Amino acid sequence: MTNDLRKMVREDCLRVLGEASRSFEVLQDGVLLMTGGTGFMGAWVAETVAFLNDHYRFDIRLQLLSKRASQFAERAPHLATRKDIQLIEQNVLNIVELSDEVNWIIHAASDPDGRSHATDAVGTLRTIVRGTDALLQAASRLSNLRKILHVSSGLIYGAPGEKTRNICEGFVGGVDCAAPGQTYVEGKRAAETICAAYRSQMRLPIVTVRPFAFLGPYQLLDRPWAANNFIRDGLRGGPIRIQGDGQTVRSYMYPADMAWWLLTILARGPSGAAYNLGSPHGIALTDLAEKIVSLLPQPVKIVTRTMGLNAPAATRLVPDITLAKESLGLEIKTDLDAAIRLALQWYRAV
Amino acid sequence: MPQIRLSDPTLRDGNHAVAHQLTKLQISRYAEAAEAAGVPIVEVGHGNGIGASSLQVGLSCEDDATMLRAAREKLSRSALGIHCIPGFATINKDLRPALDLGVDVVRVASHCTEADITQRHIGFVRDRGKEAMGVLMMSHMASVDVLLEQAAKMEAYGAEAVILMDSAGAYLPADVTLRVGTLVRNLGIPVGFHAHNNLGMAVANSIAAAQAGATILDGTARGFGPGAGNTQLEVLAAVLEKMEISTGINLYGILDLGDLAEREIIPAVPSIKSISIVSGMAGVFSAFTKHVDRISKQYNVDPRDVFFELGRRKIVAGQEDIILEAAQQLAQRKLAT
Amino acid sequence: MSYTADKMKIAILGSGNIGTDLLVKVLRSPHLECAMFIGRNLASPGMAKANSLGVPISDRSIDAIIQNPDCCELVFDATSAIDHKRHWPILKALGKRVIDLTPSNLGMKCVPAVNLEQCVDCDNVNMISCGGQTSIPLAHAIAQTQQEVEYIEVVSSIASRSAGPATRINLDEYIETTESGLTMFSGCVRTKVILNLNPAQPCVDMQTTISAKVGNPDLTKLNSAVEAIIARVQQYVPGYHMIVAPRVETNRIVMMVKVQGLGDYLPRYAGNLDIINCAALAAAEAFARHHLSTSSFWKGSADASDSTK
Repeated sequence: MTNDLRKMVREDCLRVLGEASRSFEVLQDGVLLMTGGTGFMGAWVAETVAFLNDHYRFDIRLQLLSKRASQFAERAPHLATRKDIQLIEQNVLNIVELSDEVNWIIHAASDPDGRSHATDAVGTLRTIVRGTDALLQAASRLSNLRKILHVSSGLIYGAPGEKTRNICEGFVGGVDCAAPGQTYVEGKRAAETICAAYRSQMRLPIVTVRPFAFLGPYQLLDRPWAANNFIRDGLRGGPIRIQGDGQTVRSYMYPADMAWWLLTILARGPSGAAYNLGSPHGIALTDLAEKIVSLLPQPVKIVTRTMGLNAPAATRLVPDITLAKESLGLEIKTDLDAAIRLALQWYRAV
Repeated sequence: MPQIRLSDPTLRDGNHAVAHQLTKLQISRYAEAAEAAGVPIVEVGHGNGIGASSLQVGLSCEDDATMLRAAREKLSRSALGIHCIPGFATINKDLRPALDLGVDVVRVASHCTEADITQRHIGFVRDRGKEAMGVLMMSHMASVDVLLEQAAKMEAYGAEAVILMDSAGAYLPADVTLRVGTLVRNLGIPVGFHAHNNLGMAVANSIAAAQAGATILDGTARGFGPGAGNTQLEVLAAVLEKMEISTGINLYGILDLGDLAEREIIPAVPSIKSISIVSGMAGVFSAFTKHVDRISKQYNVDPRDVFFELGRRKIVAGQEDIILEAAQQLAQRKLAT
Repeated sequence: MSYTADKMKIAILGSGNIGTDLLVKVLRSPHLECAMFIGRNLASPGMAKANSLGVPISDRSIDAIIQNPDCCELVFDATSAIDHKRHWPILKALGKRVIDLTPSNLGMKCVPAVNLEQCVDCDNVNMISCGGQTSIPLAHAIAQTQQEVEYIEVVSSIASRSAGPATRINLDEYIETTESGLTMFSGCVRTKVILNLNPAQPCVDMQTTISAKVGNPDLTKLNSAVEAIIARVQQYVPGYHMIVAPRVETNRIVMMVKVQGLGDYLPRYAGNLDIINCAALAAAEAFARHHLSTSSFWKGSADASDSTK
């Protein structure tokens, strides 16, 4: 990773978190454990913690637990070699004991890649359900636990009926639990229930986030999400292919904002609460593709593939963030144009 | 069928105000008058319920059996009720004998986050065919979601109603509307509310509870109770009548009841003193007042400081022993400065 | 320094949090060796922990001992009262000594600071309850130094998180077991035990208040007896501290202790769970020493002779 990219990420942290560092002061001098800590979210949490430690002397010690911890050392050596960051190579399923000094936990261990869900449905479900149980059982024996942040998924709402409304946290949708591709979603829903049970019976302090979609540095471009695909195809000269009429609506949050939100919710979200994590500014996929093209150095074609007569209607998967805004003062600080520009800058250099 | 069922813990919560020294004669006289007034439930016993007479929270001058018998003799249409906190009361020593003496209603109470300790006691009452209600004490100390979860547990255990207690008198009407309303909307059993008057809100809070769907309300004669006292029963009854909400009680009977209480069992009609305002603001159990006063004098510290310290430590009902430690710490801090 | 020949082989029945915490303590003991860690479910975290420490494990419950009776001389039973009632006749027939951590009320009640010596020859020793281990030493000091002890009361506050479903369902049994333990060790018939669960986070350590109504309080005698017995308790429960020294408050004697756990496997705030494990360990070590040598358990006590075999 080049110095320029490191600087870019650090500037993002400063821009988004600079004024907000007071809102998670309570994390100072703490020990934060993140499961699934070496993926996209983990990388940004690590960048943010490094920033807070370097600029504001937060003195947080970060433990990143992942079955791919060694890969992290290759992707982000500047983080992996820090004294305040410890890599723990372990599968969340095998967790029996956590270090007793851990005060804060972000539980993000799972793989949101739909291709794994298709090929290894059993493994996907096991990791989420058994892994969450193993983690919480070990956490229940910690002497100084302050809060656990459970990273769920915006998909747990099921198929949202409304085409024009953003999804609120209180929405209860339906999911066909045995349909193909539903293992991840059902696993995440079950994980939320497991968290509720540990809260109720073992009094563990657990707050939940439901992430939607993100766009920015550290995202792997080969992940099968629309924005990633568009950028990947666009950087290769195109054409950018959109399935369907392009009226499907999604929204994208920039990961520096995401990191700010994660730490704030961890620090100040009350146990039992659940927050959407994402941008409320929905955009149709054709518009997204056009925006990306307008920011590319070379012109690129956009091709929509019509789906035929009985194709399912376009869907809208956009979170309502009123709850996070009003109760925790969170907002979107990086608009989509800036996010795309920064993402392109990253992907061209990486 | 009245819209609101009034429950009167004058002879139980009121006992806190007299350091649990209500005599069997006083109990007998009040119970008789309450029966005449048509009070639906008359709750009797030590302030912390059956089996609570102790050095920790105070020794009662009569034992549980004596108190219950004195009331039982005078009540026929009115139900005889008791308060029961697992951890203080056990089934074998306290609950079974009380039911044997003819108690009709048992309100099994826990701190608002610990409902799962009430499972066995509620089950025992239901097995004996008597009426069991669950009570969540110090309910301001938990979020609405947690209160609902705890109330749902009590429902699962067989509770036939859940009562939210504002044991510290900390609520404002909007808090009550939200909390009672949430429980009413989500439980399959009636919801009740028990107010304290530390911030002068007891009657208003009780009305807010009724409007949010509560069907059981607690009130005591002249507001007799710990600290600033409870909801004043006569006033509550009058306001409900004025709002044309039926309670089945006899208005003049209730007024006479209040007069009798003032004459014969209440040494000083409750008023809102500084210390009660402080305990309401600090969110500390109202019944701590006498203990805090006494111990603060011994250690020569300001009782208001002690209350804020207890509030800071989030002390729950039953932890009166911590008052001693907190006062000692404050005294040591004073010496150090 | 190989002590293997001088260590008594023990087994732990019950692979939950209590049994696992006990295992960690046994592994530190110079007199005990854990020959088997036994439960019902190989997938439990306690089993994984024992395995990672190189301790032989079994999921065959009491059958593990029946099928291999020479594996141990002493068994810690950390299962449940109902299970212990089933286990005891089997273990007795096999000639095993038992330390019972359940509230089954079967064996000789033991509070090491008070009656350790009387227990070393008993084949079943019961650890009463956490509140009992905390308060009985002090109740005993009161009974020994005060005239006319009319009433003893013990109030414990524990962190809500340290009280699992088993504790909550068995609150009454806990109260009754502790009350009868207090009566047995103090001679005072009227005893009362109260338990408060405090949900405050960060979790609070266990705090216990002992109060008593006595004829003519003699604080001087009481203070020295209390100091002495606390020193004895601290030898096996390092986290046991007095926080309000004995005093007379409105006609009663009152004192308060706090117990912070060692944090071996249970969280440190769960002093209530730790103290019963520490006491069980002390009882087992006394058995072992008695069996292996004649030296006295108490450091610095008058008859401490160091005659090892």
